[in-house]
Amino acid sequence: MKNRQVVKNVQRRTVMKAGAAAAGALAFPSLLRANDKPSELIVRAWGGAWGDALKAGVADPFTAATGIKVRLDFTEDNEIKPKIWSAVDQGRIPPIHVNWDTSTNATISALRGVTVDLSDLSNLDGLLPLARPAGLEGYPLVNTYAYVYVCAYRPEAFPDGAPTSWKTMLDPKYKGRIALYDDGIGFNPIAVIAGGGTFEDIPDNMEPGYEFYRQLKANEPLLGEDSDFTTWFQNGEIDLACTISVNARAARQNGIDVQWTVPEEGCKVDTDGLWIPKGLPENEEYWAKEFVNFALSREAQEKWCSLLGLPPVFPGIAPPEDLVGDPSYPTEPEDFARLVSVPSPILVENQPKWFARFNEIFQG
Amino acid sequence: MQLIPSKKWVLGSLVAFSLITLSLPTIIIIGASFTSGEIIQFPPEGFSLRWYRQLWEMDDFRSAFVRTFQVSAICTLLAIPVGTLAALASVRYRMRFQRSIQVYLLLPFTIPLVVSGIAMMIFFGEIRILGQLWPVGVALCLINLPFMIWSVSSTVNGLDPELENAAHSCGAPPVQTFFAVTVPAVMPGIITGALLMFILAFNEFLVSLFLTDARTVTLPVQIYNSIRSVITPDLAAVSVVYILVALLAVWLLDRLVGLDIFLKSR
Amino acid sequence: MTDLPKRTLDRLPLRWVLMDKIEAFASLVWPAKCHRTTGWLFLTPALLLVGILLIGLGYMLEYSLHELDLSSYRLKDAYTLGNYRYLLEQPVYLQVLLRTLLAASVVTLATLTLAFPYAYVMVRTSSSAWRKFLLVSLFLPFFIGQVVRAYGWLIILGKEGIINSALMSLGLPAMDLIYNYGAVVFGLVQYMLPFAVLLIVPAITAIGEDIELAAESLGANWLRAFWHVVLPMARPGLVGAGIVVFTLTMTDFAMPEILGGGTTDFIASAIYDSFFQLSNSGLGAALSIVLVTLGSILVAIVFRITGAGTLSIRQ
Repeated sequence: MKNRQVVKNVQRRTVMKAGAAAAGALAFPSLLRANDKPSELIVRAWGGAWGDALKAGVADPFTAATGIKVRLDFTEDNEIKPKIWSAVDQGRIPPIHVNWDTSTNATISALRGVTVDLSDLSNLDGLLPLARPAGLEGYPLVNTYAYVYVCAYRPEAFPDGAPTSWKTMLDPKYKGRIALYDDGIGFNPIAVIAGGGTFEDIPDNMEPGYEFYRQLKANEPLLGEDSDFTTWFQNGEIDLACTISVNARAARQNGIDVQWTVPEEGCKVDTDGLWIPKGLPENEEYWAKEFVNFALSREAQEKWCSLLGLPPVFPGIAPPEDLVGDPSYPTEPEDFARLVSVPSPILVENQPKWFARFNEIFQG
Repeated sequence: MQLIPSKKWVLGSLVAFSLITLSLPTIIIIGASFTSGEIIQFPPEGFSLRWYRQLWEMDDFRSAFVRTFQVSAICTLLAIPVGTLAALASVRYRMRFQRSIQVYLLLPFTIPLVVSGIAMMIFFGEIRILGQLWPVGVALCLINLPFMIWSVSSTVNGLDPELENAAHSCGAPPVQTFFAVTVPAVMPGIITGALLMFILAFNEFLVSLFLTDARTVTLPVQIYNSIRSVITPDLAAVSVVYILVALLAVWLLDRLVGLDIFLKSR
Repeated sequence: MTDLPKRTLDRLPLRWVLMDKIEAFASLVWPAKCHRTTGWLFLTPALLLVGILLIGLGYMLEYSLHELDLSSYRLKDAYTLGNYRYLLEQPVYLQVLLRTLLAASVVTLATLTLAFPYAYVMVRTSSSAWRKFLLVSLFLPFFIGQVVRAYGWLIILGKEGIINSALMSLGLPAMDLIYNYGAVVFGLVQYMLPFAVLLIVPAITAIGEDIELAAESLGANWLRAFWHVVLPMARPGLVGAGIVVFTLTMTDFAMPEILGGGTTDFIASAIYDSFFQLSNSGLGAALSIVLVTLGSILVAIVFRITGAGTLSIRQ
């Protein structure tokens, strides 16, 4: 195919150019790159409570330390992905410097070969094993914390206490007042268990999960993104949701009565990470790495993750007061044992299929 | 014309319903933007200009506004010659393939915007101009071009060909005829079309969503991204900026060509 | 004029000299014998500009013939019709398409029902102030844009929005007014209204008021006069408005995204999701090609039935 050939040629040319530049940089120590500060770094982030936490915990202190402005870009994670891919393929400068991403999506980008290796970051030493990306060589991305897709609910709607099973979602009493992520992320494996299957069924027999979805569809769930959950809880639009604890906690901190629990079927635990796209000018890549390195420092991890209310990959940081002993804050191996963790390689290969089936069922 | 009561009543209530649905969001947004509270609500909690002040202090929104203005200007400046010439060509000159040309020039409307946007994202990427601002202006001109052609051609239809012939027989050379006779005659169409193009580009978000990134983001995309994260009253304040721009455009249109131009039969 | 002695030329105003130079240049690059093709010269910029879309569609067509390789997330090199087969095999795409077409029909009908009286009153009213008010009320939302208006409806129709607050203060239960099919259709109708009115107005203006009066004076009541005289005569405008509203609705993205709550996706969202959520540009391209083809066929059929005059540039 003609245009692919062109792409390859151009890539080769940029690679050669980059090689020459690298040789130059070897002659002058990295000091040179370090002094050539970019005017700003663009970090893709999630909005709402998530972006606020990154700003206060990492971006602002980084700016204070280095003088480099950090701009948060709230483009959706799925939307930025193909934009970065095509930029790297076509030898254009990628639209962002650092991507704050789910580990699964980050792994997909790593497989696609568009991420910069982070193995030489000084702050990687001594982090919890969770920080290392599963199933990949080196550090094409680095995980920064774990999080749980909890069962969040409005206590007012549950006078008899917290829901003990995800099957509560099927109760007609809550028709139109339940919510999931719009691709089923965080719930797909749980649905299998709630639908009568077992953890061993994943990923080869997802049918129990799809059957659960078909029943759930009759109960008219709302489908949304992170910040939708916070808004919906705040506006009293929903009683029950499968969402990351951060969103429920954000609503609670705004004075809304929201609780969360881990039902008998368990909750999915996962990680988020940071990665840097290839193809940045050398000095910008240098400072993007400095940003990621800073995000892994004790200072940043403590502030950022306590604002989020999530367990960091930096060891020995005490949980925020309101989350001591909370099921959404796993720290010990036995905490993790109560949760459902699907290995990253399985997610990478199967999650797109799950999303597609989820769409088929709920859009059909 | 004297209206029969029942006719007046039926038509009146339908028009009233339309008027309410057309105006309600505008009124609500204006009201909500003056809240002094933390969340969007109506009636607003107290009265303050705090969200406007906050908006003014946000560099992001200010630079997005400037970029939106630039993109719309590029779109309009490109649309004026391209659309005017195309309209003149298809109305004044007998050409073969007339029908096919019309269908072709309507492609920006018949191809769904989401497809056009992604197609241009791919093409602009392949020729390495994605990520710059000017291609966004070109793209917005392209997708709205039929509006410009319509506006101009509706006045071309009203232009008397004898005028041009008269100029010609008086010895006026073609370029002079074009600028002294033809262009002034279709001026109302050009002005209307240019204003439409500007304001449509100012509002366009879907194609822009695919063609911009954090460095080139425009206001409508910024608003859309914000709606998808957290809805705060500063969004209402931005929307009021939009309402003001729209008011200005309507006023200009009325002053320059008169809104009645849309009431003429073609 | 260029034959004038140099002395005279010097005394001519600069503007004339400039104009002469331009004319000379124009006749050099576009001599009189080419004037028959001036039309094509005028058309070229527009043809080139729209050509960008065709090139983009060419890329789409190419992409649609390659399947995604899940181990590298790149399109495979081999050519295949697999993406199209997949679209046919998955009932969800047909369902989304049908939902979109149904919505487009409902929105078109409702919009025309509202737009026609609006246009009629605007043309026929004797009060110029009232006419101007109607025009401004029409243009303002038209110029405000879809996203901002959808946002306004979020405030009005939300669970704690104005309508529900009013209901609850009256002691009535709150209603689900948003994040459903109805909300999307409603949002679309009010978004399309200005387009429809502006396209219908010229057709009504063209109907002489005397014809209507004649019908009424011959004893037809106003409804029958409307039905048998005004509506048929306004048909070109109605058809044109109908086509525009139908195609714009069919391809709309923002209203279902913002007011639909995630479960009422239209075909545009399905394309978006294939490209971005599933990162499968081959599938998304195939879906795009199918949608463009379907849309073109629909428009062609309508042109056939009604005569192309309704949408053509020459009215």
